[in-house]
Amino acid sequence: MSNQTIKQPSKVLNNVLRIALYTVLLTMAAIYLMPFVVMLLTSLKDVEEIRSGTLLSLPSTLGFESWQKAWSSACTGSSCEGISPYFLNSFQIVLPAVAISTLLGALNGYVISLWKFKGSDLFFAALLIGCFIPFQVILLPMARTLGWLGIANTTTGLVFVHVVYGVAFTTLFFRNFYQSIPEELVKAARLDGAGFFTIFYRIILPVSIPIIVVTVIWQFTQIWNDFLFGVAFSGFDTQPVTVALNNLVNTSFGGKEYNVDMAAAIIAALPTLAVYVLAGKYFVRGLTAGAVKG
Amino acid sequence: MANLVIDNVKKRYGDTEILKGINISIAAGEFLILVGPSGCGKSTLMNSIAGLEEVSEGSILIADQDVTHSSPKDRDIAMVFQSYALYPNMTVAQNISFGLEMRKVPKEERDVEVERVAELLQINHLLNRKPAQLSGGQRQRVAMGRALARRPQLYLFDEPLSNLDAKLRVEMRTEIKKLHKKLGTTIVYVTHDQVEAMTLADRIAVMRDGEVQQLGTPQEIYDNPANLFVAGFMGSPAMNFIPATVVTGDDGAMLELATPNKTLLPFPKHESLQPYLGKSLLLGLRPEMITEPQAHKEGQKYVTTTAIEVEVTEPMGADTMVITRINNAEVNCRSNPAYPADAGSVINMMFDTSKAVVFNPTTGERVDV
Repeated sequence: MSNQTIKQPSKVLNNVLRIALYTVLLTMAAIYLMPFVVMLLTSLKDVEEIRSGTLLSLPSTLGFESWQKAWSSACTGSSCEGISPYFLNSFQIVLPAVAISTLLGALNGYVISLWKFKGSDLFFAALLIGCFIPFQVILLPMARTLGWLGIANTTTGLVFVHVVYGVAFTTLFFRNFYQSIPEELVKAARLDGAGFFTIFYRIILPVSIPIIVVTVIWQFTQIWNDFLFGVAFSGFDTQPVTVALNNLVNTSFGGKEYNVDMAAAIIAALPTLAVYVLAGKYFVRGLTAGAVKG
Repeated sequence: MANLVIDNVKKRYGDTEILKGINISIAAGEFLILVGPSGCGKSTLMNSIAGLEEVSEGSILIADQDVTHSSPKDRDIAMVFQSYALYPNMTVAQNISFGLEMRKVPKEERDVEVERVAELLQINHLLNRKPAQLSGGQRQRVAMGRALARRPQLYLFDEPLSNLDAKLRVEMRTEIKKLHKKLGTTIVYVTHDQVEAMTLADRIAVMRDGEVQQLGTPQEIYDNPANLFVAGFMGSPAMNFIPATVVTGDDGAMLELATPNKTLLPFPKHESLQPYLGKSLLLGLRPEMITEPQAHKEGQKYVTTTAIEVEVTEPMGADTMVITRINNAEVNCRSNPAYPADAGSVINMMFDTSKAVVFNPTTGERVDV
């Protein structure tokens, strides 16, 4: 009786709505992809073709010379080795910085959530303030600190800066995730005779995979894309790829080589792109996941 | 197996006292139940025994050894949690053997022990599963298995059955009782379910507001409650509390009920009521002590038959609860379903006061002791 009164939307209307939906989605996707497409097309053209002003047209001949040049022989300032050495620099900064900040965040979150001590909430609140401090504010004090520690202009120094700055965020992530783990799990393990680190390593870490993925993606993207700390605290040999990219674009002998600039920019963006493609589905899952069943 | 002594244990958080001097001691192999309403401190006391919380004062002895300040792992106890707290990343077998592994028991011995426990609890077929793949009842068994594997001196159960559905709860209750009979272990068991407390315990400690109200065998607690709170907490339906005036009658001090025909109830320890002549006290009478007239009890000393007005009846199958109002208090009577008792009618009921208790209405303490 009652299902007769419920009006079924007609098939036609249904299809129209569906088409409208896809149109909107495709338009949005196109808007977001357009800059990347232009970069890709430009990087494949030669300088002459770019000057003729056909921004969106396909390249007349496929040439990868600009990619080669960007990688190994373009000039960044006074040296002309392309961005490859700086690409490696970036990895040397990012890998340890991500690993250390993630591990510290996990330990902090573990303590704050599951080994509450007097003032642990206050400690967490203080740590949270770290998320709100703008980069620029700490430049000078950090420069003094790095100098005092004797690690100014070194890769170690940059790793240190990124770890210090990242721990606030990684702690927040892990703390929120561990809030959903019942404290009884830790109590049970303590009665079973496990200690602080054994519990962390044997019981807590194995259930933390989703949040580890989230943190790694977040930290990797943040640190890889960082320009300010890179330009402020790196030495000549330890510049990350973002700084080299800036130098490359700003260094010109004669005409501007847009194709090389574009190729270099894409190369610099590839690692973060790869991380998202490989682990992206865990990102959303990890941010929304919480309850540990057991 | 070990005895347990809790000596004047106090626990404070800032200014609030959660445990106000708890004294309990049980012999080896005894099944002690801590029972009480939420927030009475029973879980805190449990955590203190386990060493998960530091006590502020007093001492705890397990097997005559002072463990007040020992860490949980050195107390040789195992605990079953309300949420089971199984390690989600480990299989059932790994869950059971984890405690043994932490105590550096060799692999072969651990395997033997896992087999034994799995046999005992009939969970052999689950050994390779993860906790997430188990039902509530199965998780409960695994949680018990984890406790049994270490063969500790003392077992702690923290409301282990409260997450199970009603039928399974009754089954597991029986199972725990059988297990205790079989293994003869010392167990401390927290619950807020008074049926669980009655059925399982060798001894019950009824707690309220951080104090032990009474410590005794289930029958003592049921028949001889120390105060109004204990009397009201244990038993379902609860004990009837009828305000009644003490008067002088044929059997010394008697209690007066304003039933349709005024009734005077005799009382075994009537001397203890003498000081209260003319005053109002609370008569505590269990529902099964107010029944339909039974021929075999006729003429017994503390049995009185009188008419009451039926307010409503609740048939329960085995018995019918007849609800009436005496001296402005609602009174539950347990009668035979065959006995005619229609709402609004006046029927004869038999009051057996041989096990009645009397409380001071202001202090809640027993008068007749």
